[in-house]
Amino acid sequence: METKKLLRKLQGTQTIESVKLILAVSREKAIYYIYRLRKQGYVRTKRQGNKRIYNISFENKLGGISYYDIINENSPIKISTSELYKIYGKKPSLEETLVYAIKTKSLRVILASLALFKKIHDWNELYSLSKRNHVERQAGALYDLARTIIRTRKITKRFLNKSIPRKQDKYIYIIENLSSKDFKEIENKWKVYLPFNKADLEDYKSKKFPN
Amino acid sequence: MINIERQQGLLLAVSKKLKEKITVYAVGGTAMMFLGLKDSTVDIDIVFESRKDRELFKDAIKSLDYKEMDSVIVYGGRANRPEMLTLGDERFDLFVKEVIDFMFSNEMQKRAKQLHQFGDNLLLKIADPHDIILMKCATDRVKDMDDAMSIIKNNPNINWELIVEEAKNQVKLGKGKAIFELGYFFERLEEKFGKIVPKKITDELWDLLGEEVKERKK
Repeated sequence: METKKLLRKLQGTQTIESVKLILAVSREKAIYYIYRLRKQGYVRTKRQGNKRIYNISFENKLGGISYYDIINENSPIKISTSELYKIYGKKPSLEETLVYAIKTKSLRVILASLALFKKIHDWNELYSLSKRNHVERQAGALYDLARTIIRTRKITKRFLNKSIPRKQDKYIYIIENLSSKDFKEIENKWKVYLPFNKADLEDYKSKKFPN
Repeated sequence: MINIERQQGLLLAVSKKLKEKITVYAVGGTAMMFLGLKDSTVDIDIVFESRKDRELFKDAIKSLDYKEMDSVIVYGGRANRPEMLTLGDERFDLFVKEVIDFMFSNEMQKRAKQLHQFGDNLLLKIADPHDIILMKCATDRVKDMDDAMSIIKNNPNINWELIVEEAKNQVKLGKGKAIFELGYFFERLEEKFGKIVPKKITDELWDLLGEEVKERKK
């Protein structure tokens, strides 16, 4: 079977069983087809218990890494997106990834990226990146929010001093028109409306952090 | 010919040589490769937002031994030819906003949703398949028609209305000739490959062409 046709039929998440069903072939043939696609760079394999899960897509061949890959590597909340933003030749830092997540203005992406605070330690980098992108108060507020659910490294005084809002600063939204009922204190400290309530953070209690 | 791996290595090398961060648009074979529609290409077609960005890019590829070549050899005397640089059988065609008789419009820029960042300095946005067809029509080189056909064949959900809308947009941007080019391109495409473009669309294009002719008479 031609590779392009094979790729089109198997695009997505597969197991040997699903490949057998889709192509109506024997187990041996299914294994062979996966092998062929992997050899050409289209397959990423994950283990789930004893099972192998195959992610098959053209994008795998392009290589590179996306901000979403980094969030998924570090967060118990996983994101799947149709948006394609690949980075080649460097691995973005967690600090860079957090700033990107804030800028997406996506509820789920920001929620998942709270987990990054567990490992973020370069507060200078986070400050300069967020300052450049005008999201330093948002980053500060999300840090305080993250501390209500996970253990984080302690933010530096320098970050706090430089980012805490002044009297004349107005309240800003992370996601337009969304504010919190449960985290008023953090909102007032940073003059930033948080798009989450306590219930939204429940996933962090029930799901395991990746190693 | 340049394949995916070589192209990525090359763009990474360009990024390392760039003195400033720039955003560019891939519109031809390169875009098709990123969309999985082609395995290799000869020419890397790139559209820049400004002349300054093109100069920065040119400086970077010149430092990788690419040499300037005369674009008349490929594009004849056509307007808005690219600046071209070549090394061996690889070639960069570098446009600024205008691609021959077409404008790489703001709408096209917004439709370029796939992003590929090389190192710190080069952000490559991939043109939408509909816009690649329009750009293929604009450049109209030897293999462009085959490439356009390949996009159409591999995208069962081609939105022909979008192509017509963009053609109208081109007229608004002062690129009335784009309608003629598109009509002629589609006609030759059908001569070569058979019926492809829905009749409703060719009719709409004819109407637009009629209006454009009237406008020119004025």
